[in-house]
Amino acid sequence: MGGPFEAPHLNWWEVLVQQTINGLTRGAVFALIAMGYTMVYGIIELINFAHGDVFMLGLFISLFWFTMLGVTKTLSIAGLVTLLPLVFVLTMLTTAALNVAIDRVAYRPLRRSLSFMLENVALLWKGPAPIAYPDVFPSVDILREWFGVDSAIFVTTKDVLVIAATIPLMIALHYFVTRTRWGKAMRATAQDRETAQAMGIDVERTILVTFFVGGALAGAAGLIQGMYYNIGMWWMGYQAGLRAFTAAVLGGIGSMGGAALGGLVIGFLSAWSDQYISARWTNAIVFSILILVLVFRPHGLLGERAVDKA
Amino acid sequence: MKRALGPAALVVALLLYPFLDRALGFQTVHAVSDGMIYVLLALGLNIVVGYAGLLDLGYAAFFAIGAYAMALLNSPVLGSPLYGHAWSFWLCIWIAAAVSALLGVAIGAPTLRVRGDYLAIITLGFGEIIPVAIRNLGDITIDIGGFRLVERLNLTGGENGVNPVGRPYLPGVPFETDPMPWYFLILVIGAASLWAMNRLRDSRLGRAWMAIREDETAADCTGVNPVSTKLLAFALGASFSGFAGSVYAAKLTAITPGAFEFQVSIMLLCMVVLGGAGSLRGVILGGMLITIFDRIVLSQSTSLVRWLGRTAGVPLLASMDLTLWRWFFFGLGLVLVMLLRPQGLAGRRRGATALAPAEVEPVAAEPSAPPRVEAIPEWLRERAVSPSAGPILEVRGLTKRFGGVVALNEVDLVVPRGAIIGLIGPNGAGKTTFFNAVTGLVRADGGRVVFEGASLVGLRPNAIVARGIARTFQSIRLFPEMTVLENVLVGEHCRLRATVYGAVRRPPSVRAEERRARERGRALLAFVGLGGKEDDRARNLPYGDQRRLEIARALATEPRLLLLDEPTAGMNPRETETLTDLIGLLRRELALSVLLIEHDMEVVMRISDRITVLDYGTRIAEGTPAEIQRHPRVIEAYLGTGYEQELAARDVPR
Repeated sequence: MGGPFEAPHLNWWEVLVQQTINGLTRGAVFALIAMGYTMVYGIIELINFAHGDVFMLGLFISLFWFTMLGVTKTLSIAGLVTLLPLVFVLTMLTTAALNVAIDRVAYRPLRRSLSFMLENVALLWKGPAPIAYPDVFPSVDILREWFGVDSAIFVTTKDVLVIAATIPLMIALHYFVTRTRWGKAMRATAQDRETAQAMGIDVERTILVTFFVGGALAGAAGLIQGMYYNIGMWWMGYQAGLRAFTAAVLGGIGSMGGAALGGLVIGFLSAWSDQYISARWTNAIVFSILILVLVFRPHGLLGERAVDKA
Repeated sequence: MKRALGPAALVVALLLYPFLDRALGFQTVHAVSDGMIYVLLALGLNIVVGYAGLLDLGYAAFFAIGAYAMALLNSPVLGSPLYGHAWSFWLCIWIAAAVSALLGVAIGAPTLRVRGDYLAIITLGFGEIIPVAIRNLGDITIDIGGFRLVERLNLTGGENGVNPVGRPYLPGVPFETDPMPWYFLILVIGAASLWAMNRLRDSRLGRAWMAIREDETAADCTGVNPVSTKLLAFALGASFSGFAGSVYAAKLTAITPGAFEFQVSIMLLCMVVLGGAGSLRGVILGGMLITIFDRIVLSQSTSLVRWLGRTAGVPLLASMDLTLWRWFFFGLGLVLVMLLRPQGLAGRRRGATALAPAEVEPVAAEPSAPPRVEAIPEWLRERAVSPSAGPILEVRGLTKRFGGVVALNEVDLVVPRGAIIGLIGPNGAGKTTFFNAVTGLVRADGGRVVFEGASLVGLRPNAIVARGIARTFQSIRLFPEMTVLENVLVGEHCRLRATVYGAVRRPPSVRAEERRARERGRALLAFVGLGGKEDDRARNLPYGDQRRLEIARALATEPRLLLLDEPTAGMNPRETETLTDLIGLLRRELALSVLLIEHDMEVVMRISDRITVLDYGTRIAEGTPAEIQRHPRVIEAYLGTGYEQELAARDVPR
């Protein structure tokens, strides 16, 4: 995901601001995927290793929908208002259904095996080479072209898109989890499945809804990723999934806010590490920090301490 | 005689196989040898995952360390700080195992506070860090403020890896040209490892691993030190990968960082899970199946499919490469196995019912015989110390807060030597928290706990067990998948001395110790009325038997003070009677001091010498049973106003 930002004409604070913006957009995508991980884990205590690949397929599926709708080039304003939301909805529905299907097909057995199967599906579907994702979203240098500021820092409409798409999704998710009937059922099931069942909650349905919502978020993340980077690879699910899962654990697995925070932290860390240390070491650094956090705060940044009852 | 036939045939087959292969011209020895290396790795992983129950997603890191230790020390051209002074393979293989074991401890140490899935993530993190480090340490330049500390130092060969790596040297053995010596070398290493693992599993350490896997808290409270036990699992598991890694490097004569990616860890995990975690035979089976499938079946069927495609004129089939689909098949196979045989191909079948043990049978099937004085094991009698002066346990001002809730508020409690003290109070009064604070499960916020004149504050649960305090749990916490006898043997853990070396070598002293431990365990089980059930799985026992097994396990730690948390809960009157007699007998005959949480007032009033009453974490009364029954605050808070009348109606002195 992009090498170090090479721009000799930037001074030190411009570099920092630029990398922080990069980190923000990266982190926003991680956060979306991380929320899917954390939701599934919270409710059935299971690391859904297939989740990163649902994200990867989300990218390919969104491309499929764009192609079906005849979009191959940058969209006009009218297209942005009509087609883009449509593709969002279609992609999210598809990946949500996919995630539910995964849950149904391989509910009890190890889930990580499924991730490899999904990677193979993508490999077969699009071939082993990276595929180009059409530049559907217009890229405009906002500071320069809209505000006329002659700045060395790039803030494009794409950066805005990432933020503008993720924040409403997060708010919607928060609302869903805290305010709706299904959200309440999810939280109850996460705390104590048997009691929830005794209170008349349909636990199986609730798990299904959890997978549905998590899959939808992964799909949205895949679409955003595709539009932002204009490239997709069948193996990217593993890398992104790993970072997103790291984010979920860092924030405290099971906690929605933690997943969002963890995603942003990982985003910033990886962007800064790319710039100031070396992109080659970024993975090692991200994981070292994860290990340090877990050693000193075994339940993550915002996670609740599980009490072992004697 | 018949039982020895199978293994003997296997040994002959393994010895003859390479010659047969050569005679028939199959040329599969190479692939099979590689497969055996992966099997060895899977066996090492099995110690961590199967025995100790610690999910390790980064085991390939140890493999990498073993391989690189060998490569760097043994490569004649490059890499190590030794620059061309290659060391002998036979020396390096031990160094590689030692380095891997050290790394195992280094990785294990920070993860000790972390449980379950968090642990898995940390191992995954290490599994990612190690290959990244190996890749990048091929070209190190450290530049601090324009001052070059290190310039372009090549430590690991970077992306290109190390090439060539020296081969082992034995006079007259053609390691350079012939795959057969490799086969036998790996066979010998594998057989030796298997022998060692088999002995480890049936040792004091092996039982401790399984106890940790089954229930870490209960193991800790039974005298197993989770820290050293887990570290040993990591270290020993890693050392086998050190052997495997070094043989791998020398056999291939070249290694690259790509051979140690996450996928390798997952494949090894698949082998363990596919065959059945914890079963040596299963892991070997799983490992062999996966490697043979990967190395032989996939490539052979690719040629077959291509040939079919060419003859039938289907271009899609003619250009098919099934090896690209390897993970698809692994995934499919694993999902299928998990659906059909969740315990793995050769894993032990779990109990037929999926019910929780408590639900299997709420009460004991047969009424248990009352405990007899003659049945007290002789060795327990020998341990009994004659009551001397001074209380055995003295608790002063014990305080514990959970957030804003004060669970224990300056509680005082004294257990005189050889006394039975009852601890009663309404639900949530802090009784179990009191137990947890005394046994070290929770850290008290204030107060003193003095056992036989020495403070227990700050000690870990297993250290407190070693001092002579044993406990049972309100909700029974046995090691469900272990046998009844093994449960008791875990109790004896802290009184046994066998080391890792002793467990593998089994010198006469260790054999004698193990034999004695088993005899004691059987005697103890006979005493509590579980004779003849030694080899049953603990989870399959009826409820009352589980309670008694938990007490037997506690007694096996040779305690001088026994903490019983609601021992008669869920028992029928007859069982309660037997258990009450047992407690009285232990005190009378063995001078064992007992601290008892109990809701059955008849039991408490009958056997307690004195009773302490807690309410909202505060001690509201202390006295003899008769005093407590008439204590106005106790009646108000706990017994209820009806209790006095009920008591009168039942005609108290029974």
